Amino acid sequence: MNAAYLARRFASVLVVLVIVSITVFAITLILPGNAAVMILGEYATPEQLRVLELELGLDRPWHVQYLSWMGNLLGGDWGTSMRLSLPVAGLITEALWRSAALAAAALVIVTVIAIPLGIIAALKRGTWADLSISLFAYLGTAVPEFVTATLLLVFFAAPDRGWFPAGGFVPAAESIWLFLYHMCLPAATLSLILTAHIARQVRSEMSDVLGSDYVRAARLKGLPERTVVMRHGLRNAMAPAVAVISLDVGYLLGGIIVVEEVFAWPGLGRLIIYALQNRDLPVIQAATLVLATIYALSNLVSDLVIAALDPRVRYA
Amino acid sequence: MIEQVDSLVSPSSQDARPVLHVQDYSLTYTTRAGPFEALKSVDLSVMRGRTMGLVGESGSGKTSLAWAILRYLPANAREGQGQLLLSGDDLRAKSPGEITDIRGRRIGIVFQDPSTSLNPTLTLGRQLSEVLVRHRRLSLKQAQNEGEALLARTGISRPAEMMTRFPHQASGGEKQRVVIATAFACNPECIIFDEPTTALDVITARQIQDLFVKLQDDTGVAALYISHDLALVSRIAHDVAVIHRGKIVEKGPSRQIFSAPRDDYTRMLLGAVPNPNIRLVNSVLSRQSPTILRLEQTTIRYGEKNLIDRLFGREQKEVVGAKDISFGVRQGEILGIVGESGSGKSTIARAISGLNDFSGTVALRDRAFHARQQIDRPYRRNVQIIFQNPDGSLNPRQRVRDILARPLKLYGLVPASGVDAKVEELLAQVLLPADFARRYPHQLSGGEKQRVAIARAFASEPQVVLCDEITSSLDVSVQASVARLLVDLQTRTGTTCLFITHDINLVRQLAHRIAVMYRGECVDLFDTSDHAAPERHAYTRMLLEAVPTAAGS
Amino acid sequence: MREILRHPTGLVGSFLLALVLLAALFGSWLAPYDPQLFHPQARLQGPSAAFWLGTDQFGRDILSRILHGARSTVSFGVGATLLGVAAGAVIGITAGVVGKWVDSLIMRLVDGLLAVPDLLFTLLIVTVIGGGSGHAMLAVAVAFTPGMARISRSAVLSVRTREFVQAATARGESRLYIMAAEVLPNSVGPLIVEATIRVSFAIMLGATLGFLGLGAQPPSTEWGLMISEARQFMFRNPWCVAAPGVAIAMAAMGFNLFGDALRDLIDPRGQR
Repeated sequence: MNAAYLARRFASVLVVLVIVSITVFAITLILPGNAAVMILGEYATPEQLRVLELELGLDRPWHVQYLSWMGNLLGGDWGTSMRLSLPVAGLITEALWRSAALAAAALVIVTVIAIPLGIIAALKRGTWADLSISLFAYLGTAVPEFVTATLLLVFFAAPDRGWFPAGGFVPAAESIWLFLYHMCLPAATLSLILTAHIARQVRSEMSDVLGSDYVRAARLKGLPERTVVMRHGLRNAMAPAVAVISLDVGYLLGGIIVVEEVFAWPGLGRLIIYALQNRDLPVIQAATLVLATIYALSNLVSDLVIAALDPRVRYA
Repeated sequence: MIEQVDSLVSPSSQDARPVLHVQDYSLTYTTRAGPFEALKSVDLSVMRGRTMGLVGESGSGKTSLAWAILRYLPANAREGQGQLLLSGDDLRAKSPGEITDIRGRRIGIVFQDPSTSLNPTLTLGRQLSEVLVRHRRLSLKQAQNEGEALLARTGISRPAEMMTRFPHQASGGEKQRVVIATAFACNPECIIFDEPTTALDVITARQIQDLFVKLQDDTGVAALYISHDLALVSRIAHDVAVIHRGKIVEKGPSRQIFSAPRDDYTRMLLGAVPNPNIRLVNSVLSRQSPTILRLEQTTIRYGEKNLIDRLFGREQKEVVGAKDISFGVRQGEILGIVGESGSGKSTIARAISGLNDFSGTVALRDRAFHARQQIDRPYRRNVQIIFQNPDGSLNPRQRVRDILARPLKLYGLVPASGVDAKVEELLAQVLLPADFARRYPHQLSGGEKQRVAIARAFASEPQVVLCDEITSSLDVSVQASVARLLVDLQTRTGTTCLFITHDINLVRQLAHRIAVMYRGECVDLFDTSDHAAPERHAYTRMLLEAVPTAAGS
Repeated sequence: MREILRHPTGLVGSFLLALVLLAALFGSWLAPYDPQLFHPQARLQGPSAAFWLGTDQFGRDILSRILHGARSTVSFGVGATLLGVAAGAVIGITAGVVGKWVDSLIMRLVDGLLAVPDLLFTLLIVTVIGGGSGHAMLAVAVAFTPGMARISRSAVLSVRTREFVQAATARGESRLYIMAAEVLPNSVGPLIVEATIRVSFAIMLGATLGFLGLGAQPPSTEWGLMISEARQFMFRNPWCVAAPGVAIAMAAMGFNLFGDALRDLIDPRGQR
């Protein structure tokens, strides 16, 4: 992997982010009415609107506004939340940590469970084990997160059973155990869905690899099946599986929004919903960019991991 | 008469018991469309130190036999009563564990395509040494050393370095040598070779064949050499078995099979192999024939540079497909263009037919074109191209009638009322029944599809027809008939033809003149009869030597 | 069609799909009660002879509401997907056919848009243009467009390199003819497969938006909305949330499995 390749990938990511930022910015421009209207409400007089517009710089040409906005962002000034009157940067950072904890928990669980499940399903193709895993995987892709979340709530958090809390949050600083306790159900919800996606993909990749010519050649060399699967099969299935995992970060980002909402977990997702419902522009813009950056970076990381695993990419 | 060619195979000692013995073996696949009999009562024996060539076309069951011997049959395979013996051991009675032991140690296999049968993420050395570790119980270090020695034996110049390479860093020939080394590594009793040189270019293929003969001679291994190429098998096998639709139709020493075939199918196969001494085209072109197509300093480059990709830093690699090509083609001539894959022969065809950009000049009669954009419809009507792959060259959603009617409509050759009649005429020209007009391409065989493609090309009554490897993807028996059809059409219509192929024997049969391409350059151009003249280019001579011609008496 | 039924996934998918489509077309007639009718005496009841799936917090029959909501759910999913496919196909096919810098530019933009996860994109758009079923459908369509553009482009590109298309170019056919007669009919396959599978995503997105209050509005019987309205009562009568949840899953699964079976069908026989 040479520096040129890395540099190009980074440049790619930057370009993507620029496009996303323009899109986000453009959406706010298309808004019927503008920021001033949103702040002051429908009943503001034209003079009040005008004053605020000038103050906010809404009369400048759009590319100037965009550049000034981007300039502020990169300089660390993310503006102030219109509804909460708090600096956006602080809001987002705090929320990001909480979401990250949840996401990390889910990803760990998923990696440990989903990949072996997918491999088992591929190895035992056509048997009951495979069919049940596949069925589970299909269900996972067909049930929206909020349904899973709600059903889990009904089952585990019913007042007469109360195994788990129905939502809410306790800062880790206060009590690490309560923090984890409250994280259980939302993490489980996220894990269920992601496991379904990833297991399905791993199964598919592994099946392809197991049916390939070189695996056949390895078997016909007399190598024991375990060696064939581990040394020849897994290595080649892992690279595309990693690619899929990065795609799942996308699902994760979407799912986390809903899961946080249902379980009242105060992370980035919940913040975005709040901001969207209240049209809090600065928060919407910044949070979307943050999410898009995370997604783009995860793609980059997965590309690098693939290059590390697949010598064809490395030495090309 | 088939000429006698010295076989490279030397007589060797015979052990009493065959190493590989197949007796009365039958195999059926259960498919949705009913049972399919892949092998019917096959009898076959391979002695120690001998090579048995198993010759058949695609679908003959030859590969199924290999799977059966290696006990690697799919779930829907049903075996009959027959026996499969390896040095007297009943293979069918072995447990899966015993079979895993036998594979690699007592029976080896060499596959056709080393690119797909080697694991892309493991080094070549690892893939070679793992059999040694497994079967000969060597340590990894010992296996590496032994592996190097084996690679040296197969003619690899720097074995230690090759061990550390990945498959994509080695050429086709090098990879196949590694695969062969792996097969010989544990001194097996028997090795199955499944078309090991088909995926390689002619010269490399010849080297691998020579290597095979040498190793087989040195080790005395019993070899089952599966191939569709009769000429090749005749050179390297002691005995030959011809298989057709699952049955062995003829078996015997190779010299006998080729000099005095008894079965009709064998005779048909032998007849279909291009014999360069049998000319299909008997016309001699008059010296007065004008040059109808001319190339001057034509160069074709690949790799588009565009601004956006450069901005985003995508790598731009420019490849030269063909460089400074200049030659003229006379009216009514068949010009053969030969070369290996990547030599640029197809690239030239695509430039002439206006599919690729080019610099230089392409001239048809008195009209010269200096860029692809200049090529217009009248030119295109007069220069038609037929492609290699019969599956790809016809639109799967159009019926044959529509496919053939299209050039008629496009060039306004017949009034709408006359289209059907003309389509029938075209079909008759390529020896296809008229009711094929209603069919879709997937209802036709490969050879039939190719005939439709030929009919389509000749429909517009062009002055030049480019044939880009039109027989290479077809079965041997069909190749000959399609080649003959083309020559017939050409003779009757007087169309000029550029026949591009890698099969030198075929081109010697049907071309007036031959052009030889090597790495994008035209290195030789001569009358077919002058192929053995001393002034021939070194590469031309190498090519001619490397190609097997059928053995016989 | 028979081929699909032979596949296990196709069989199950077709079955589910048939159920859902039946409900969508005839739900209103099949429903035993008026979906908006209150039965104050029989609130939050579990399944019984009178109410097969139980009642919600207002005493409305859940089964009737689900049957009634099938139509809006399915038409949402199909409508949003069709719009997204149409828009995406136009963009992707243009990119694939015109090629060169136009193609690169369009694909870069598409890559950028694909960096935003579906749900987020949809939420953003809905915020801008307002909530409600119609706007939500538009939002989902716009969110699908980049993905469909990418797929149509690769379908077109893979057909473009096929020899019969090159034969047409060599003949001197006009660009329009090549597109209409040679490329398009052979590219439609993967598009149809992808579209079918996307309907399941559209249904889920629509339900999610309804749940978040940004999609269908009361008193609609959209299934996501039903779950959101019943949330506070879910411990007292889990059927209020379970039934619509299962319905959503069935609809999404039906389209998903059917699309998968379709893909297996088109792939081996066809253009590879």
